[in-house]
Amino acid sequence: MLALPPFRRSRRPSLTPMIDVVFLLLVFFMLASQFGQDSALTLSPAGGDAQYSGPPRLVEIGPETLRLNGALVSEAALAGALRPLTQGVEDVIVLRSADGTSLQRLIDIAQSLRAAGFASLAVAP
Amino acid sequence: MINVVFLLLIFFLMAARIAPPPPFDITLPSAAGETPLGEGAILFAAADGTLSFAGQSGAASLTALQTQAPERLSLRADAAFPAPELAALLADLAALGVASVDLAIQTP
Repeated sequence: MLALPPFRRSRRPSLTPMIDVVFLLLVFFMLASQFGQDSALTLSPAGGDAQYSGPPRLVEIGPETLRLNGALVSEAALAGALRPLTQGVEDVIVLRSADGTSLQRLIDIAQSLRAAGFASLAVAP
Repeated sequence: MINVVFLLLIFFLMAARIAPPPPFDITLPSAAGETPLGEGAILFAAADGTLSFAGQSGAASLTALQTQAPERLSLRADAAFPAPELAALLADLAALGVASVDLAIQTP
């Protein structure tokens, strides 16, 4: 009669299935994760605490054109034209965009005004 | 090797930030800015003016926003989003009690 030795389980269980699962998790997290923080511009919808005072400062932004209080003005000359109308940096400048203006254009104009030292910009509907 | 893989796994677990995918294609407007984008509720705005919030799009998104009433909101708007609608949207958000909106941008 054939006498087989009793079947003995291996003392050390196989690591292969665990490695498979860990690799799967690793690949999942690599694909699902999003790196790099986006930047943001902070807007306050309720309006800042700044009160409007002084002469009108209305910048109308069209897709191609720019008007300050109704008069056509070039993008480069806008900051210079606004300077006599403001007393300090906290003076509110109202930005109104015409139909067809993209968000990118509004942001560009706002950033150039911000760079020129006008800190208080209001977006009017 | 399994040690290294575990290490990588832990790294990705810690470093990852799983964000819900946007409901439509959005190209963020580019601008210079250093402020990091805050965490929290995200309102999406497409190039054609469609809004989306928490899986609801269109007019239902503002209703969903009203029930959640976040004080701080991230706005991910397309660069071609109509600017007049942004002004109207900000007025709507002010009426809903949103105190601060982070407009997501990409830095060039």
